[in-house]
Amino acid sequence: MNQFVLSHTTASELRLFPHIVEIGVVKNSAIRLNGFPSTTDRCLKLYYIQEGKFEWSINERPYTLYPGDVALILPGNEFGNRNNVLEIGSFAWIHIQVNKNEKNELVTGAWSSLSEAECHAISKVLQADRIPILQKFTEAGTILKSIQTELFTQEIGCQARVNHLIDEIFIQVSRQFTRMSNPGRDFPKTFTKLEQELRNNLSHQWTVEEMAAFVGLGTTLFNEKVKSYSGFSPLNYLINIRISEAIKLLKVPDISLTDIALDTGFYSSQHFSTTFKKLTGYTPSEFRKNHLGTN
Amino acid sequence: MECIITIELGTNAVRVYAFDLNGNIIGSLKGYCPTFHSEPDYSEQDVDQIFITMLYVLKNLLNEVLHPKKYKVLCICFSSSMHSVVAVDKRGNPMGHAITWADNRANKEAAELKHSALGKKIYNATGTPLHPMSPLAKIAWIKNNEKEKFKQVSKFLSIKTYILQQLTGEYVIDYSIASATGLLNIHKIKWETESLKFAGVTAAMLPELVPIDTKVGKLNKAYQTSLGLSADTKILVGSSDGCMAVLGDGVTGEGTGIITVEDSGAVRVVSDKVMQDDNQRFFNYLLTENKYVSGGPTNNGGVIFEWFTRQFGDFKNPFDIEHTMLELINDASKVPAGSDGLLFLPYLLGERAPIWNANARGVYFGMNIKHEKAHFVRATIEGILYELYSIGKTLEEHRSINSLTINGSFGTLPFFTQMVADMFNKPVRLRENYHSVSYGSYLLSAKEMGMYQSLDEAANSVVLPDLATPDKQNNKMYLKYYPIFERLSTKLASEFADIAALQHD
Repeated sequence: MNQFVLSHTTASELRLFPHIVEIGVVKNSAIRLNGFPSTTDRCLKLYYIQEGKFEWSINERPYTLYPGDVALILPGNEFGNRNNVLEIGSFAWIHIQVNKNEKNELVTGAWSSLSEAECHAISKVLQADRIPILQKFTEAGTILKSIQTELFTQEIGCQARVNHLIDEIFIQVSRQFTRMSNPGRDFPKTFTKLEQELRNNLSHQWTVEEMAAFVGLGTTLFNEKVKSYSGFSPLNYLINIRISEAIKLLKVPDISLTDIALDTGFYSSQHFSTTFKKLTGYTPSEFRKNHLGTN
Repeated sequence: MECIITIELGTNAVRVYAFDLNGNIIGSLKGYCPTFHSEPDYSEQDVDQIFITMLYVLKNLLNEVLHPKKYKVLCICFSSSMHSVVAVDKRGNPMGHAITWADNRANKEAAELKHSALGKKIYNATGTPLHPMSPLAKIAWIKNNEKEKFKQVSKFLSIKTYILQQLTGEYVIDYSIASATGLLNIHKIKWETESLKFAGVTAAMLPELVPIDTKVGKLNKAYQTSLGLSADTKILVGSSDGCMAVLGDGVTGEGTGIITVEDSGAVRVVSDKVMQDDNQRFFNYLLTENKYVSGGPTNNGGVIFEWFTRQFGDFKNPFDIEHTMLELINDASKVPAGSDGLLFLPYLLGERAPIWNANARGVYFGMNIKHEKAHFVRATIEGILYELYSIGKTLEEHRSINSLTINGSFGTLPFFTQMVADMFNKPVRLRENYHSVSYGSYLLSAKEMGMYQSLDEAANSVVLPDLATPDKQNNKMYLKYYPIFERLSTKLASEFADIAALQHD
């Protein structure tokens, strides 16, 4: 790739793509002081190393990147070289405008064909606390190159292709992150991580797709693995945790049944009551009475 | 048609089986329950989740298999893992999670007691090794470390006690589970005064002691309705999983060694006498008033082979560990017995019997330039089984063992079974198709319903085929290497202590 920078404020190539804040390639043959200072922005940044070795700091932690590596910088995270130096070598990058919803999840814009559930799952993966580097992830370089070609040639279907390719970046990067944290060897450990995540967000209306994405499996294999390991379907396992947590809350006198229902992820106190009675034989209020005395 | 249900409250899962009256399995289901480790030494489970899981699994088995075929459930018999502690308040509500057998928080309490005269006295009275696993040490830990909570505790239960109480309203603990608490005098079958004093509890804070064939009250109305069970369904308290496995393999007398290889493992023998060991190496648990199950547990069973597989196996599909393990076993089968002189000490999780050294660690020993990956695979499996052999060998100082039975998900893999036969130089019998623990529960229920006159008669009905006969050549080879294994396991004690200390930092 040759050097270039397109910025949404000036480049006509980006007229149709207000969500691409910046895209570019740099080839640097001599160290440039003050060439790469730390900045903090509201967009999502992805850097792909083509040549050389780069010492970068992301969110105040140092990382060394080599050719083929990808750095992902979330909105609001500081990023740059600690000494502001631009080192020798070449890399490609893209800055994408993303929004955050009230739950602080990343949301792509109307340009994206990711569904709401997919977007939620991807956001969860990207925002998980982990090393923001993907090693030897050359697929990212290929996608960036394709975007560049589309932008410069402006052939028919260019708008759709570029937007698909940006979705593709989100998809491939989050898949690679889950593959990295779940190398597909230790299902008990993976299941434990999922279980913790479910417990931490019990009130969330989890879908099987989200759970499978968290584990880094397709839904078919995910269903099969969870069933054979736990004896439960993923959603039944979730209900099992919900009821177990609800039981504990029912033994605390001052929490209302509606609050318990919503806190543990039931749609309503009615839904809670029916599910609870079906499994335990008692309604939540009968159960509470049995365990707290009549008061 | 009539049937018997068995419920096993295991470490990782609740397993429910249904048997017809002839002992054939009609159906089975399991439900996973997580173990939480909020601190490195902690292993806890949520008893309410165990209860809900049990209800869910039981209900599904009833609705999917038993009710459609119009089976009438005559009896439900329980078993569970040992050594758990559930503290409940005066309303019977759990004060936090259950502490499971694998929890090591009471290390200090157990170690201090072990090296005291009182400890020796308590071990001789209770038959439970002085180890952080024992409820004696765990309750003492709560007394010493959570003083406020300890004051509020109304009763200390086992997980099974809690589950039975939820179902029937009664607080009971069977002799078998009680004999693994370190609180029961196994000679008199009464709570041991010295233990109660050490733990800081009174007998009133413990459940009622009952024999394993006791019928516990009646199923609460709500569960009769929600499960579709009749009021006269017998609820049998049952025993521990270890004692049930012994019964399920048809052993109620001397002469047979029972080997279990699940994630962890054990070698057990049965006798009407307590096995007194001055080195406190063995447990003595009660099956009935006059039958003692004695033996030694290992931490490092199949879990070590799983560890090896995850690190070094070639996974063709994500998470397909079963297939990957079989491939490794296939590699191992091509290496001669003794792995051409490569030895493995499997102590990745520290070890209980026979060396009782929590600091012990894994070692590959004797590597030379000709060893290949397959040698490591075979040596790993051999190391796991040498460890079981070493327990068996120390048991033979007290009892003669003429033949063996084997059970557990790893023990029943043909490659493991054959290797056990070769190492011990004894024929190995094996229950195919189903789980020894649940079959033991079936036999206990069948006896209780009058189908057998006694437990001995019930056990004698079990005929297991000899599935592995020892190969003399292999046996010779193993006996050449085993003395080195045995010496290494104690010789390295001070290096184990040093490396464990560094690993703790």
